[in-house]
Amino acid sequence: MGIVIAVISGKGGVGKTTTTANLGVGIAQNGKKCVVVDFDIGQRNLDMHLGLENRVVYDMVHVMDDGIGLKQALIKSKITPNLSFLAASQTKDKSVLDSEKIKKMVEELKKDFDFVILDAPAGIESGYEHTIEFADRAVVVVNPEVSSIRDSDRAIGILDSKSQKVKEGKEVEKYLIINRIDPKMVQSGEMLSSEDILDILNIPLIGKIPEDKGIIEASNQGKPIILSPDSLASQAYKRISRRLCDEKVAFVDVENDAKGFMSKIKGIFK
Amino acid sequence: MKTKQYSVKVFEIVLEDEERFISFFNKNSLFFQNHLISIIGKKSDKIEKYLQEKSLKYIFNANIPKKSTATKQEEVQPQQAIQKHLQVLDKLIRSGQELNIDGDLLLLNRVNSGGSIIINGTLIITQIVDGSIRCNGNFMMLQASNKANIVFHDVEIDNSFLQDKLNRVELINNEIVITPVLKEKSWV
Repeated sequence: MGIVIAVISGKGGVGKTTTTANLGVGIAQNGKKCVVVDFDIGQRNLDMHLGLENRVVYDMVHVMDDGIGLKQALIKSKITPNLSFLAASQTKDKSVLDSEKIKKMVEELKKDFDFVILDAPAGIESGYEHTIEFADRAVVVVNPEVSSIRDSDRAIGILDSKSQKVKEGKEVEKYLIINRIDPKMVQSGEMLSSEDILDILNIPLIGKIPEDKGIIEASNQGKPIILSPDSLASQAYKRISRRLCDEKVAFVDVENDAKGFMSKIKGIFK
Repeated sequence: MKTKQYSVKVFEIVLEDEERFISFFNKNSLFFQNHLISIIGKKSDKIEKYLQEKSLKYIFNANIPKKSTATKQEEVQPQQAIQKHLQVLDKLIRSGQELNIDGDLLLLNRVNSGGSIIINGTLIITQIVDGSIRCNGNFMMLQASNKANIVFHDVEIDNSFLQDKLNRVELINNEIVITPVLKEKSWV
């Protein structure tokens, strides 16, 4: 039986879809069978991040409503054969989602894959609630800024009250990814520190990702950043993917590791 | 012949201004349910009717034998119950969550920005408050950041008084008094 991971954030634009795409590739490259599902009905983006825009024929709504088989709708990624993708509908809106149908689809995906990653839409409305409903784990993506943290806090609150696992008296495992950390701003104290964020949200950290200019270009080209080995963000995503596969990977201090040239020189003279 | 001896709690009050008298009892009548109220002043129908409505026992201008004759201040608050249905919670109050509590609360976790607590009893929070608090109890003890919105007995409290350390906020003679609770590290 596979594990269902929902990638959530509350606020939009913090990097949920980028994270989903990269973790999908990372987990698949780790040798696990993985499927990424775009739950952002009406505003799908994940296909572009994975470079699969032109290959979408059937989407999730076709599977749930029109009797199209999952095998027909699933798209195999060019990057690694372990990774599949299920698109969201671009023409419908989130009102087509229905708990029973989602449950059936997720159960079917769990049979075929080790990891089912659901990319939640921004916000906390019905689309979000349906995404988290059948999740075993949640990966919470935040940026080191107050509005992102408050929205995620709210999203976690809803997760803790509305997911199926919680209703059965179990707990959804939650992990925190701090995205878009700017080492310079952290060092100068302009950004919220990771300790403060962890204090507020009170969930375990699974990784920090430094700000990386390459990410925008990577998603424009449909090649997730994890495929460019030199990038710091890529290394961070690789570590997180391995942690999600229950490997023990040491934490790397991205705030200080990514020192600039000048601070290296300063370091020599200290 | 049968006799019995009772001790009766008597609350003595000087009646000068009827409006003030009524507003005082509107606020505090609950505490006097088991008291005998001894009123010194002019007896009027309005006051009598009001007291009967509140089902309070009263006497006018009685000469009650008492040991001490110290005259109390007019608006002395009777001692309120220190503890009523104390709840102890170790739960993070996240954004969007609201606790509505009848009684006292000891919260061992933080209140995040966007979370809120409404309580009519005493409130103690051991970790920092970023959210909003409405407290109508005897006192509250908390530490708040500058994001928090703290209202005590319908008065908004300036956060700058509540930062840095645990603070005790209480109502003394209709004035809000904030005293910092010094937290000294002690090694055991």
